[in-house]
Amino acid sequence: MSFEVRDARESMVVVSEVSKRYGRTVALDGVSLEVAHGERYALLGPNGAGKTTLIHIICTIHPADSGTVTVGGWEVHKQPRRARQALGVVFQEPSLDTRLTVAENLEFHGQVFGVPRQLRRRRINDLLELVELADRRDKLVSSLSKGMQRRLEIARALVHDARVLVLDEPTVGLDAQTRARMWDYIAEVQRRHELTVLVTTHYIEEVDDCDKVCIIDHGKVLAVDTPAALKSAHGRTLVKVTARDEAAAGKLLETYPGSSVTAGQVVLPVDSTAAVTEILRTHSDEMEAMTVESPTLESVFLSLTGRAIRDPSVEAEQGGRRGVRGRG
Amino acid sequence: MDVADVEATRAAPELRRAEVPTLTAWSSGLAAIWLREIRRSLRDRGQFIGGVSRPLLWVIILGVGLNPYFRGEIYGEVRFVVPYTYLQYIFPAVIALNIMYTSVQSAVSVIWDREFGFLREVLVSPLPRWLVLLGKVLGGTTVAMIHGAIVLALARFANVPITLTKLVGGVGVMFLLAFSLTCVGVVIANRLRSFEGFGVFSNAVILPLYFTSASIFPLDPALTRAQTRVVYPEWLVTVVEWNPITYAVDSLRGIFIGFNQFDPRYGPIVLAAAAVVFFALALRDFRRA
Repeated sequence: MSFEVRDARESMVVVSEVSKRYGRTVALDGVSLEVAHGERYALLGPNGAGKTTLIHIICTIHPADSGTVTVGGWEVHKQPRRARQALGVVFQEPSLDTRLTVAENLEFHGQVFGVPRQLRRRRINDLLELVELADRRDKLVSSLSKGMQRRLEIARALVHDARVLVLDEPTVGLDAQTRARMWDYIAEVQRRHELTVLVTTHYIEEVDDCDKVCIIDHGKVLAVDTPAALKSAHGRTLVKVTARDEAAAGKLLETYPGSSVTAGQVVLPVDSTAAVTEILRTHSDEMEAMTVESPTLESVFLSLTGRAIRDPSVEAEQGGRRGVRGRG
Repeated sequence: MDVADVEATRAAPELRRAEVPTLTAWSSGLAAIWLREIRRSLRDRGQFIGGVSRPLLWVIILGVGLNPYFRGEIYGEVRFVVPYTYLQYIFPAVIALNIMYTSVQSAVSVIWDREFGFLREVLVSPLPRWLVLLGKVLGGTTVAMIHGAIVLALARFANVPITLTKLVGGVGVMFLLAFSLTCVGVVIANRLRSFEGFGVFSNAVILPLYFTSASIFPLDPALTRAQTRVVYPEWLVTVVEWNPITYAVDSLRGIFIGFNQFDPRYGPIVLAAAAVVFFALALRDFRRA
């Protein structure tokens, strides 16, 4: 079964004025965005920002209260089955059948999406090579590590001729090394399959390589642009100073309004290189070390929302919940 | 994999046409879901052990144990309640029992899919919901029929000769029974959140239905209705008559040992109606899931 893009030049995913509420909670509040063909588009926001809700609406799992979504030109509400042919989805929660083998999971997906047998066989072989699971094809999924399972899910999403790969928090629950590798796999499948990729994450450092970043919080889009443009528009250069002693730190904090202490360092937001030179000139006696950090998306998020993306308490709670699920 | 292979995979133009899912696509999807259910069940060793030990227990221990008591002696006259040994009498009912357990239990995969996320994989597929449910139910039905067929291995021991005609008729009834009960299982599973609850609940449904289906004791067909109600408490007779499993067991008995307590036409009619009704109920629930 294959899929035709109605017009390849038009955006692959168009979300316009989508709202969704659960009871009294507004999960999405008039969200609009466009993902162009071949783009890697990141939805960045803290947990509970509405990312997963939006993904579920795009993937035809839940209807929106208002607004429309099209995927490859098909309106998801009116032609969900066409839209599903165009979508390859990797959900946040694992959705493999752990009692089946690696190959059986892929076979199942191909059959359910009506991929003809020969093409299915070939694709499965290719994809298993691509995500480096070919040697495990007859192993039960329950015997794979989390990272391997996630890779298998990416492969599975592409057994049918998906044009848009949607990944909801693909790196959650993986260790740092595996996370980095996961992005390599995503980049590789995107290149080989000429895909449009829509990915959500709350790991800010992961979106630097994306073509577009959409910052979302409390169900609203705060900013959409390339990472570089976002940084230059909203980011600030940070000067981090390790003060010689307490008194010196106090003096720095006093002199520069807006500065704060993080991890034993005094952090001073500055606007220009001249300001950096100025700090170095006037306070060199009070500091042991100084680093200058060019604008990061972390600071973009901070200046847009007034808070850090990762609230430690939320993180801890997430980790706990996930642990319980994982055992099930 | 080199680039040329990728090109070959991607470029095949006849496969890149836009198509609404066709009959072929639907049947391949249905087959996939059916096969998955079967694979999962056959890999579940616990279920298999249950499927083998249950008939052994019922036929060899209960059947052999109660065999001598299946004839009554009234005023020195030996009188069989029905003209069969107890082993022959319960043999068809044990087939039904094995099917009951397996089909209801197979619906546990509905809970499994929901809890472990696999349901989403199916929900974002281009298959319509009713087809997904049909695949699941047919898978459960097939496994239950396999378990029903395991009982047939004891046919010689129970002195029930099996012929091809009996087998064909038996498979038909077994299919309808297994199909209906798998749908019942889905209905139950959609209302329960946990595996433990399902286990308790399914036992609470299966055993009463089994015991009140004239499976282990006969309602003497030689007696009139009024006489039956004298021999057995009225409520019990009523429950037996209203229990749909009664007619499934009666059908199987009619086919395998040639003994019917009720009109032989009832069985297929009741079972076919149950299959339709419970599938509709299961579908209603499954659409909401």
